[in-house]
Amino acid sequence: MNQTPSSALKDLQISTPTATTIVLTRTFNAPRRLVWEAMFTPDRMRRWMLPPPGWTLTTCVCEPREGGTLDLAWKSDDADPAMTLRGTFTEVVPHEHAIHTETMALPSGQVVGSLIEKHAFAEEAGSTIMNITQTYDSKDARDGAIASGMDQGLDACYQQLDALLGKSAKGE
Amino acid sequence: MVLDRSPRLDLVFHALAHPARRAIIRQLSGGERNLSELAAPLKMTFPAATKHVRVLEGAKLVRRRVAGREHLCRLEAAPLKEAMLWTEQFRRNWEARFEALDSLLDEMKSEEQSRPRRP
Repeated sequence: MNQTPSSALKDLQISTPTATTIVLTRTFNAPRRLVWEAMFTPDRMRRWMLPPPGWTLTTCVCEPREGGTLDLAWKSDDADPAMTLRGTFTEVVPHEHAIHTETMALPSGQVVGSLIEKHAFAEEAGSTIMNITQTYDSKDARDGAIASGMDQGLDACYQQLDALLGKSAKGE
Repeated sequence: MVLDRSPRLDLVFHALAHPARRAIIRQLSGGERNLSELAAPLKMTFPAATKHVRVLEGAKLVRRRVAGREHLCRLEAAPLKEAMLWTEQFRRNWEARFEALDSLLDEMKSEEQSRPRRP
């Protein structure tokens, strides 16, 4: 029972406790010191941020200390930069939690979205439960963030849903 | 195409926001049920259960038909599909990232083990 987290424990939980927030919870099989390093060190971040197809992360600055900068930029086949993400760390307790602002903008300067993101890390028997709370300016902005990326992979989604609903229609 | 702002989707999410209504949906995924069959496992009064069914009907998640003295309810899957699709890609994006993070963390752990311990 108390051994390494099963795949069930690794399941990503997504909830929307208020009209403007999204909370993501996921357990990782590593101490929080390492999860922190993976989340906030540019060379590590490049490994998991996985930009959309055709996009490349060109700038990655992340200074997890109070007043520290977050500065990311991507280029696409059509534009360089195609998108920027800039923010500031407002509260940092290393390995425990960090709060930063972030604003995504198009090269024209048009803001695509801005939010406040809090990462919290809790360690339990060598595993880390990471909580990400994203707070958006409005419900519409929150809903837009969830809906973004809808264009990609719709077919795959439909197939998965058909399988799922087919299963439940037969009585689980 | 699913729109960002959909009053219909709001209704669906509101309808899904109550545990009793999710329990009703689970029951209906097994097939058509009448109102008393739905009310029984919920441990609530018949009118209270009926109220929940009405919310589900309002979101078009449940369709009710009258057969003799019975009110039979069945699940309408389409709005549920739409609601799931809405969050599905968001979930997939994060799941993919976190799976990459799993591999990275495994690497970082072995890096650390192969490195001589600090004094």
